[in-house]
Amino acid sequence: MIENGPLLERLLEGEYICSITDEHSFHKLQNEELVDDLNHFLRPLNRRVAKNDDGSVYFLAYCDLTQNARQHLSHQFTSTVQSLLPMLEWMQLVQEALGRDGALSLGDTIKLQDFESKVVDNQSLIQRLAHLANDKLFKSTSDKPDMQIKQVFKRIKELGYLHQPHKDRLFYQVTGKVEQLIELVRFIKDEENLPIDEEIPEQEVMF
Amino acid sequence: MSQTPNQKSGAQSNPLFALGKERLELIGKHADALMQGYLDGQINESAFSEQALQKLLDSRVLDYPDEQRLQLRPIVNELIASLTQDERKRQINSDVGEHLDQIHTRVQSLQAARQKGDYAASEHHLQLLTERVNDMTGQFGDAIESLWHRLNTEFGFVSSLDDKILEIELAQRQLRRILDGFGIINFDDLIQLAGSDGSLRKLLVSQLQARISEHSGSLLEVQKRLVLLMSRFRQQQDKALLINRMSAFLRQHPNFQVGDYPNRSQVPAVVNQAQGISAQAFIALDRAQDSYALAELARAVPRELEQGSNSERQDQGFSMALQSLVATEQKQLAKDVEDFFIHVIESPEALSGVDYLAEKELSWEPEMWLFQIVAEYQGLPEQNKQSFMLEKDSAPKSRFNQLYIIQDVTVGMRFFGDFQAAG
Repeated sequence: MIENGPLLERLLEGEYICSITDEHSFHKLQNEELVDDLNHFLRPLNRRVAKNDDGSVYFLAYCDLTQNARQHLSHQFTSTVQSLLPMLEWMQLVQEALGRDGALSLGDTIKLQDFESKVVDNQSLIQRLAHLANDKLFKSTSDKPDMQIKQVFKRIKELGYLHQPHKDRLFYQVTGKVEQLIELVRFIKDEENLPIDEEIPEQEVMF
Repeated sequence: MSQTPNQKSGAQSNPLFALGKERLELIGKHADALMQGYLDGQINESAFSEQALQKLLDSRVLDYPDEQRLQLRPIVNELIASLTQDERKRQINSDVGEHLDQIHTRVQSLQAARQKGDYAASEHHLQLLTERVNDMTGQFGDAIESLWHRLNTEFGFVSSLDDKILEIELAQRQLRRILDGFGIINFDDLIQLAGSDGSLRKLLVSQLQARISEHSGSLLEVQKRLVLLMSRFRQQQDKALLINRMSAFLRQHPNFQVGDYPNRSQVPAVVNQAQGISAQAFIALDRAQDSYALAELARAVPRELEQGSNSERQDQGFSMALQSLVATEQKQLAKDVEDFFIHVIESPEALSGVDYLAEKELSWEPEMWLFQIVAEYQGLPEQNKQSFMLEKDSAPKSRFNQLYIIQDVTVGMRFFGDFQAAG
């Protein structure tokens, strides 16, 4: 168990472990025996190792939903839902700026320079970036696109949705937490019966 | 001939030009009969006059693979297939049928030659037969290799997901055709055909079977991977749609209230994410065996107190010297730089001066700021200086002189040489 100390510590600190943030640990966590061992250790702390639907990311969940646990979950859920729109808009912005037609997914690489050069070429993207950067989730006060981009990506990295493999190089990789967020979106859509499955004409979307 | 074209180019004077043109025209002239032959897989001799037939044979459009059969030469077949984009429909299936037919005839010729005791002829037929079998398996191999190639590049030759999905569908159809082709090969027939002849059995049965099963294995893998890739592409599309629609919905309904899932009796798994706990530990002196290591640490870590008082002195020195200048502003700058250094001490990693400036939203000119950091660093007492590591990120201003512009400085602590310099 000693050798799993660092992994345990990272999990306890609330980190999400996926193939991008820590490939080695991610593969370890696929071993059910190890997960059982970890769970045994985590039991007194009211925590267990959990994973998302497609098993692309591991994190800790509560075993018993005590009052404290619920309080925390409530708090966390509210803040996630509050930051949902800016997060989705960021994903759309990146996807469009980089000319992709699929959603950002685990492992996608974003070079900040590429992204910046695409955004500054396009007035509407600049405006959307400015709007996004102003959101209270990102809190950028700069009116320069490069600063706004830096700030937005820095915040998203702090939130755990991006991984920066080299501290000094401005490229990021999408982590498994993004997949978890998408699952949450899908869950909310299904659970709340949101009428968004029908085709919405693009024009309507804009308003 | 008498009408010279407007410009008689160099190409047209080339003898190859005249010959090529003549041959293309020849094909055009017999287009009907040739296309009929392409579709039937065999050319009807009686469709041509003897002269025309001879011309077509001479021009390498048609040939007799064996005495009884007149065919389009494979290259012409390919030409027609590629011009009509028909290769996908025809290639594998018809080719397999064709190959098998020819294998049959070739075996018959071989056996006839053997009966006659014509050793040379039978050798020749066996060689041709081997080539034919290899051609057939080679074609399968090529088709499968091309599938693998497209798969491995994730259909990178088309950019949009829609196109990729179409390409996968195409590849799946092609794969099915190859499998159909395998289906046509009837090993019972081939066993019968080979009879008791050892070399034929080896060629037509054991070798072929091994090759086909190898190909089938490869195809199975391709099929699996195609299905996976397809589902991944569809998922990506699906997710993009979900993101677009959800964000549109949220924009349209700014007051949208989501259910209180954390407080339901059944908390959905997707919501259950535990809060982080950080396990902290502190210096403890109650274990004698640790004292040496702790003492080492204490010696290596720059003492905050001493650091603080030094900087203060530094600060005073500056402010006194510059009092006559813009003293207050200079003091503020020195203070900010000092804060920066304190941040460096507290931070586990090296900090970039420019990033810090942006992060704290300080109003200093970056140039002035960096200068002050370097100055503060240079002004530190030697002993303290060694605790820090300063990296200048500079680039030459021009190719014609040695002037370097410092764009950023990174300052970090030097713990046991553990500091990983940025840049």
